[in-house]
Amino acid sequence: MNRQRRTKILIQGSPLLAKELADAILEHYKVIDIVLPRYGMTMVKMRETAKNSLFYIGEVLMTEAKVEVEGQAGIGMLMGMEDERARQLAIIDAAYKAELPQTIEWETRLLEMEQVLHRDKTKEQAALFKTKVTFETMDI
Amino acid sequence: MGYVAVKGGTEAIDASLRRLQYDRLKGEKILEIETILATMKSLVDQVMSESSLYAPYLAALAIKQAEGSMEEAVFIMRAHRSTLPRLYYSETAETERMEVKRRISASFKDIPGGQLLGATTDYTHRLMDFDLLNESVEMNAEWLHEFAKEVMELKPDAEVKYFPKVVDYLRKEGLFKNYSMDETSPFDITKQSIQFPVPRSARLQTLTRGQTGAVTALGYASLRGYGQVHPTVGEVRVGEIPVLISHPHELDESPENHYYIGEIEVTEVESFVPVKVKNEQNVEQLEFEIGYGICYGQNETKAIAMSILDQCLEHPASSFPTHDEEFVLMHIDSVEATGFISHLKLPHYVTFQSKLDSVRQVKKGEEQG
Repeated sequence: MNRQRRTKILIQGSPLLAKELADAILEHYKVIDIVLPRYGMTMVKMRETAKNSLFYIGEVLMTEAKVEVEGQAGIGMLMGMEDERARQLAIIDAAYKAELPQTIEWETRLLEMEQVLHRDKTKEQAALFKTKVTFETMDI
Repeated sequence: MGYVAVKGGTEAIDASLRRLQYDRLKGEKILEIETILATMKSLVDQVMSESSLYAPYLAALAIKQAEGSMEEAVFIMRAHRSTLPRLYYSETAETERMEVKRRISASFKDIPGGQLLGATTDYTHRLMDFDLLNESVEMNAEWLHEFAKEVMELKPDAEVKYFPKVVDYLRKEGLFKNYSMDETSPFDITKQSIQFPVPRSARLQTLTRGQTGAVTALGYASLRGYGQVHPTVGEVRVGEIPVLISHPHELDESPENHYYIGEIEVTEVESFVPVKVKNEQNVEQLEFEIGYGICYGQNETKAIAMSILDQCLEHPASSFPTHDEEFVLMHIDSVEATGFISHLKLPHYVTFQSKLDSVRQVKKGEEQG
């Protein structure tokens, strides 16, 4: 599973999933902390739609952590102040880079969580669609 | 006359700070950060937008510390921001991928995808709701339970729906000018001082973090005749857009290899403004241009006002203050404006003494004359 899809599931999904996957690595491998969880910012670049040019809308607060597993470095990052999850994401990232066997088993877990998220989102959207306007033209 | 150093205020300042603490505590109530986050979303959104830092938890803490003062909360957030390292720049965020919560158009009733009201106060009566005096957690839980039950009964679509932009639809029809993707790196007003005329990116960055009241007031001034822009809102959309970061060292820069770090809620507005242009035959004809507004959180008034000012500043005109880049951009920042006004209450003993001396001299001269 590619990184964008994986990190989206792990950040939007239950925090327990990232913990569980990271714990599986911590149990079997040595995890070296390169950068302990730290707070910082990301400047968000946007495209405006009037002239299709780029500008900065502002910064977002984020937490970043870096670890090494089996000689491979992994980065964990997410918005907010989330020390534990940033380190867990870094461990998972390193596990994928090192192509550890556990990552093959994770595929099903991630897909299951993705389905839960998808179901929740479509339900939420169905509720939102109740506010959709149905116009009727009046005869006057 | 040189500066005169004075001392003696230390003890009074200490006592004043204790007094401030006393005023905050004397009510013997504690406002939890979670309560602010759950019940004061508009305030949190405004603080994040004006401080230019998307961090709901910190914004709520700043509101608590500032005891509800917007200017203090924004000041605290900006000060905190200056202590944090900037670790990354995001990939370009596109609002076409927004998970829309609300989306309306004042220009067309039938827009592709339809008009979605979402949550809005637009249709409320603005009568004081005295029922809120007696609301309880139990009553609210019951309401939420009923609401959740209704949602459970709904039949969702198979896929999450993304909404096309109204302007794209008009561009396809050839009614609006097409612009190719401009990949010029944006100017960053937090890294360089602005010099006039500023690039468009600096203008948009300044407007989006402007004080809500100031941006709204100047947008309103333009509508009232102190400007030449009176738009029709093409589309207002509120929703969440993902923030993606590319790996700092890997060569694979494909979107699939990016890190997803979360989502930000924004309000985006495209205003349609009719302008007269000359065609190839030098004949005047009517065309539409777009004023662009966007800000963190749900703040539709600010985003609409920003779209008016964006369009004003695209057409400089010295006879209108709202079309004057320096006038608009130098006076809308919360920290700069409130800071400069506030400094007037700091000691000006020497400068005022000098003015008094001048007046005394003049008076003395008049008496002698």
